[in-house]
Amino acid sequence: MTSHSRLKSIFQFSNLIERSLLSSRSEPVLPWRKPNWPSSLAKPTPKPTLGVYYDTSWTRTKPSRIARAALVDWLIKPLSSFVAMPTVEGLDRLGNVSTPVIFVANHSSHLDTPLLLCSLPQQFRHKTVVAAAADYFFDKRFKAAVWSFALGIIPMERTKVNRRSAALAEELLRQGWNIIIFPEGTRSPDGWAQRFKGGAAYLSLKVGIPVVPVYISGTRRILAKDSTKLHRYPTKVVFGHPIVPTTPALSSGAGNLKGKKDTEDAVHFEKRIEQEIALLADACTSNWWEALKRHKSGTTPSLGGPKTSPWRRSWELPPSSRSS
Amino acid sequence: MSQRLTRPGLILEADRNTPPTLFWNGEGFYLQRLPKGSRIIYPPEPVESLYDIEDGIDNALLNPTGDSQPLPDLLKPDMRLTIVFDDISLPLPPMRSPDIRQQIIEAVLDYAAQAGVDDVVLIAALGLHRRMTEPELRHALGNRIYDAFAPHGLLRQHDAENLDELTHIGTTESGEDVEINKRAADSDLIVYVNINLTAMDGGHKSMCTGLVSYKTMRHHHNPNTLLHSRSLMDMHSSALHSSIWRMGRLIANSGIKIFQIETTLNTDTFPEAFGFLQKREWEWSLSDRVRYITTSNILEKMPPRASRAVLHSIKSPYQVTSVQAGEVEAVHQVTLNNLHAQQLMVVEGQTDILTMGLPYIGPYNVNSTMNPILVAVMGLGYFFNLYINKPLVRQGGVVIITHPTRWEFNPLHHPSYIDFFEQVLSQTTDPVEMAAKFEESFAVDPWYIHLYRKSYAYHGVHPFYMWYWCAHALDHLGGVVVVGGDREAVRRLGFRPASSFDDGLEIASDIVGTNPSITHLHCPPLLLTEVR
Amino acid sequence: MKALLFERNIPRLAASRIGSSLFGADFLGSTQGAKVGPLRLVETEPPRLPDSVPNSPSDSLPDSDWYRIRPRLSGICGSDLAALAGKSSRWFEPLVSFPFVPGHEVVGELINPPAGKSRVVIKAVLGCATRGINPPCDSCQKGYINQCERVAFGHIKPGMMVGYCADTSGGWSEELIAHKTQLHYIKDDVTDEAAVMIEPTACALHAVESANINDGDKVLILGSGTLGLCVLASLQYLRFSGGINPEIIAVAKYPEQYQLAQELGAQYIISPSETGRVVRKRTASLMAGTHLTTGVDIVIDCVGSRDSLRNALDVVSPKGKIVLVGMPGETRIDMAPLWYKEITLQGAYTYSPTTFDTATKVVVTNHLERLVSAKYRLENFEDAIAHAAKAGQRGAIKVVFDMRKKPRNIQREQPS
Repeated sequence: MTSHSRLKSIFQFSNLIERSLLSSRSEPVLPWRKPNWPSSLAKPTPKPTLGVYYDTSWTRTKPSRIARAALVDWLIKPLSSFVAMPTVEGLDRLGNVSTPVIFVANHSSHLDTPLLLCSLPQQFRHKTVVAAAADYFFDKRFKAAVWSFALGIIPMERTKVNRRSAALAEELLRQGWNIIIFPEGTRSPDGWAQRFKGGAAYLSLKVGIPVVPVYISGTRRILAKDSTKLHRYPTKVVFGHPIVPTTPALSSGAGNLKGKKDTEDAVHFEKRIEQEIALLADACTSNWWEALKRHKSGTTPSLGGPKTSPWRRSWELPPSSRSS
Repeated sequence: MSQRLTRPGLILEADRNTPPTLFWNGEGFYLQRLPKGSRIIYPPEPVESLYDIEDGIDNALLNPTGDSQPLPDLLKPDMRLTIVFDDISLPLPPMRSPDIRQQIIEAVLDYAAQAGVDDVVLIAALGLHRRMTEPELRHALGNRIYDAFAPHGLLRQHDAENLDELTHIGTTESGEDVEINKRAADSDLIVYVNINLTAMDGGHKSMCTGLVSYKTMRHHHNPNTLLHSRSLMDMHSSALHSSIWRMGRLIANSGIKIFQIETTLNTDTFPEAFGFLQKREWEWSLSDRVRYITTSNILEKMPPRASRAVLHSIKSPYQVTSVQAGEVEAVHQVTLNNLHAQQLMVVEGQTDILTMGLPYIGPYNVNSTMNPILVAVMGLGYFFNLYINKPLVRQGGVVIITHPTRWEFNPLHHPSYIDFFEQVLSQTTDPVEMAAKFEESFAVDPWYIHLYRKSYAYHGVHPFYMWYWCAHALDHLGGVVVVGGDREAVRRLGFRPASSFDDGLEIASDIVGTNPSITHLHCPPLLLTEVR
Repeated sequence: MKALLFERNIPRLAASRIGSSLFGADFLGSTQGAKVGPLRLVETEPPRLPDSVPNSPSDSLPDSDWYRIRPRLSGICGSDLAALAGKSSRWFEPLVSFPFVPGHEVVGELINPPAGKSRVVIKAVLGCATRGINPPCDSCQKGYINQCERVAFGHIKPGMMVGYCADTSGGWSEELIAHKTQLHYIKDDVTDEAAVMIEPTACALHAVESANINDGDKVLILGSGTLGLCVLASLQYLRFSGGINPEIIAVAKYPEQYQLAQELGAQYIISPSETGRVVRKRTASLMAGTHLTTGVDIVIDCVGSRDSLRNALDVVSPKGKIVLVGMPGETRIDMAPLWYKEITLQGAYTYSPTTFDTATKVVVTNHLERLVSAKYRLENFEDAIAHAAKAGQRGAIKVVFDMRKKPRNIQREQPS
C-alpha cells in the first residue's frame, strides 16, 4: 500500500467516524435532556432552597440519624475530647427534667457545638438539633448538607425575624427534639458575651418546655473567631438548673408585670436565662457558694464584661476566655 | 395535607419549544412530540382534601343534605338495614388502604351498633359486573368488616340472575320495568356508599345499575339511550340518566328509603414513584426523568403479563375532597358541584383530531387484561365522553388512540367478550344491528349466567353494553385510528391501525384534511371539559 | 407415453416418511420432497391388461368392454399426498399393486370413442364388474361398489381404484385403461375444470348422504380444502333440492377458503382456534372443565388428522355423529368421549356409481370449476406436488395435472 492510499483510507475512516458521530448527535430531548419550558407559559421564579429554605428533614430520617449517631460517638466525640479535654459539670441537674428541652449556651468558638453535643447525656445527644446561622451554614448546598448531616444543624435566621425558621424549631420541639441555641447569634469577637436574643425564651414560652442554661469555657483558647489554628486547651461545660417561665402567682415580681399576660414575657425570661449562665460563669472562676451569694445579691459579674474601653475589656478577660 | 399549590387545568399550545408529551400506551408510556399548534389539555391539579376524614364523614352523617334525618335518627333496633357499596370498578386505580368505603361503612356500623340494629347486610352493587374476590373485598372494606360479616353470609354480592332474590317494584311512566335486589327492597333503610370518580357515577344510577336485573338494565343500557347521551358525564343531556332518574323516582315513591352517601376524590392519581405521569413535562425534575427512563424501559422490556402485574399493583394516593349524605338527588347535586370544582375546565372550541393515550386500567379490567373491546370503550366510551356541552372533537373528526390493543382476553373475567369479539364484531360493528341480532342470545346463554353467578365473569351481555357505550362516539366520529395496535384486532373493531403516531396523523388527514387542529387529552388524572 | 410412476422403493418411501415426519407439510411443500420420494417421471409403453382379460382393448379397434383413455386433467388428492409422504396406512398394502400410476380424479378423452361421445370422467373404483367376477360379490350386487369385497382378486391386479392398480395405469399419465362401467360421459358444455371436480364432489356427496342430515341439525365441517368445500357445495345442493336446512359451521384456516366457504353457503365460518367457543355459543352449551356438555349434531371431518378427530369428538353432541371423509391413518386418540357420549363414528369412502349424476349437478350449479387453482404439466410434477402440499398457505384449493395437447403457452395457469 502506498503512503498516498494509506492516507486516503485514514482520511475516509475519520470522515466516517465524524459522520456517524454527527448523525447520532441528533438533538437530545426529554427525558435525556432537561425539558424546555413552553414559550407560551411564564416561567415561575425558582423557589429558594438554600439558607432558611434549606430542607433538613432528610437529616432526621432514621438512616441519617443512625449514621450521625455513629459519626458523633465514634469520631467527633473522641476528637473533641482530645482537643478540648472537657470537664463536664452539673449533669446531675438534668436528672429529672422532662424532655424536650432547649439548651442555651454562650458562644465563643466553632468548637462549642461539637463539644456541647458530645457532652450531652446519652438520652439527649442523638435527639438534639442545633440552631445555626442560616446565612453562614446554609449558603451553599454542599456545606449545608455536610453540616446538617454531621451535627444535625437546622437553619435559623439571625438578622431578622423569620416565621419559617421559628416554625421549624417549634415543630421539632413538638416532635420531641431538643434544641441547642446560642442566643448571642454569633461567636464572641472579643471573649465577652454579646447581647442575648429572645428566640430561646420565645420558643420556651410558646411550646412550654424548660430551658437548660449551659456555660462553656475555654473553647476560645482552642479556636477563636477569625483564628485558623487549633490549640489544645482544657475546657469546661457546666449545665445549670433547668428553668421554666414563671407564672405571675408564683413569681415574686408579679406586681411589676404589666398588662394581661399570664406568664413572664420573653424579654424578662431571656434576662433570667442570661443571669443563670452568668452565675455558672461566675462559679467557674470563683466557687459555687460565693457565686450564689453574688447571684442572690444581684452582683454577679455580667457575661458581657465591663463597659469600658476595648483594651480594658480584654485585660479583664479570665484566662479561659482569652485567645491563644 | 397536600403541600402543593393547586393549579387549575391548563391548555397549552405546543410550539417547537414544547417538550415531547407523555402518551400512555397500555402497559407502558412514551414521549411523543406533537405538531406545532396542537393543544394539550392538562387536568387540574389536586384540590385541597378533607383535613380530618373521620370528622368529615361524621359531619355528613349527622348533618344530611336534602330531605333526610340524620343517620342516627333513622336507626331503630328491630329494623332491617342494608348497606350497599360500589364494586371493584371504582376508584381507578384502587386507592390506598384505608379505602373510603371502609371508613364510611365503619362509621355507619358504629351508629348501627349504638342503635342496637341486629339485622344488617352488606351488598356489593355489582350490577352485571363480575363478583369481587375475597382480597378485593378485604381491600375495599377492610378486615374488620370482612371478618365480622362475610363468615355469617351477611356480606353479599348482588346477583342480577337470581330470580329468587329480585323484586319487581313497578313500571315507570315510560314503561320501564324496575326489578331490584329483594333484600334491599325489603329493607327499612338502604345506606348506599358511593365513590364518585366521574360525574357519571352516583345519584339514582347507583341503585338503578348496581342492584337491578338484566330486564331493568336493558331499558337504559341500549344503543338508543347511549346514542342520545351527550355526554354520559352530563346527566341533564343524557338519555341514560333520564331513564335512570325515572326509575330512581319510582323506587323512591314506592317507599324504599335510601340514605345516600357520596364521596369525591382529588386528582392525586399516582404515587410519588410514578408522579411524573401526572406532572407537566416541562416541570419534570431530574428524578422524574430518571424514573421515567427506568420505568418506561423496564415496562417495555418485560413481557406484557409482568408489566401488567407491576402496574396493577399501584395503589392510588387519592384523597377525599368531600363526603355528603342524605336524600339521593340533593346529595348528588352537591357531589356534582364538588366534583366540578376539582375536575371541570373550560375548553374553547372543538378540534379536528383528538388524541389520547390509553392507560393500562379501565373500570372493567381491574386486576385483569385490557382486551380490545375495553380499549374501544375506554377511548370512545369514557375519554371521548369527558365533556359537557359539545364533544372535544368535531362532528366527523378523528380520534387517535395509542394503545397496543393486543388480541388477548382474560377468560376468567371476560369469557363472553371473546365470543363477542369473534362472533359478533366479525359480523357487524353497528350497535343497533348487534342489539337486534345478537344481544338476546348472549344475555340468556346459560354458560355465561353460570360464570357470572358462580365464577368471576362479567355478565354475557356486558360486552354489548361496552359497545353501546361507544355508540355516541361511533356515530359522531369520522374515524378512529389506533397507533401501535395489533392490526387484526384493531380492524375487527372497525378502527384503523397505524404503526406510528405520524402515520396515524397521515391516516387521519384522509378524513379531516391536511391541516387539522389537534387536541391531546393528557389524561389520567381525570378531568371534565366544558367545551364552548 | 409419459407417466408418473409410484414404485415400491423402500429407501425412497422411508426417506419420504422420515422427511415428512420431521418437516411436516414443508417436506412435500418444497420441490425437493417430491424428488426424494417414490414418484418418478418415466417414458413407458402404454398400459396393457393381462392376457387373461377377455375383450382386452387391442391397439387398433375399439372394444365393447374396455376403453383406452387419454387423461386431460387429473387432480392431486389428499390421499395421493399421504401416499407420497409415506404416511398412508399400511393397512392398504394388500389392496394395491405396485408399481402404479397415481391419479383417480380424472377427466379424459376416449382414444377410440363411440359415436358422439368423447370426454369422460372416470369412476375410479374397481369393483367386481371390472375384475371379471361373476356373480358379483354381495356389496356390488347391492350397488355399493365402493365396498366391493373382491378388490384384491379377479383377473386384474389388486387395487381399490384407478390410481392404485398396476394394470390400469392412472390419471397422472398420458394413457389409462378403463372398463365401460367406469365411464361417466360428460356433455360438451361442462369444462374440463368442472369435470375434474366431479369425482371429489361425488365423495363429498356420498359423505353428506350417509350423514343423514335432518332439517335444523347443526353441522360442523372441519376443513375447508377441496373436500370441505365440496361438502359445503353438496349441502347447498341438498338445501335447494331436498329442502333440508341445516345450520352449517365451517372451519376455515385461510382467507381464500373463508371466502369460498361463505360463497358456498356456510352460515358461520370460523378459524380452527375458535371451534370450541363457537360451538359452545351456538349450542348454548355449558362446560364441565374443558368439555362441552352438548354440541353439534353432526361433524363432517374433511381433514382426517388426529387433531381433527379429537376436535370432532370434543364438539359433537351426545348421540351425535362424526363422518370421516378425509382419509385417516394410524393414530392415538382418547376414545372415552366416543364411548361415554355414545357417538357414532362413521367412515365415508368414495361413492356409488349413481352418485356421479348428482355430483355433476352439484359441480355445475355451484361452479366448482373455480376450485381448480393451478395446473401443471407432468414434467413439472415436483412443483405440482409442492403446490398441492401447501395449497392452503399458497392460496390454492385444487391442483391438477394438465395433459391436454397444445396447451396454452404457459405451464402454470391460474383460474381467471
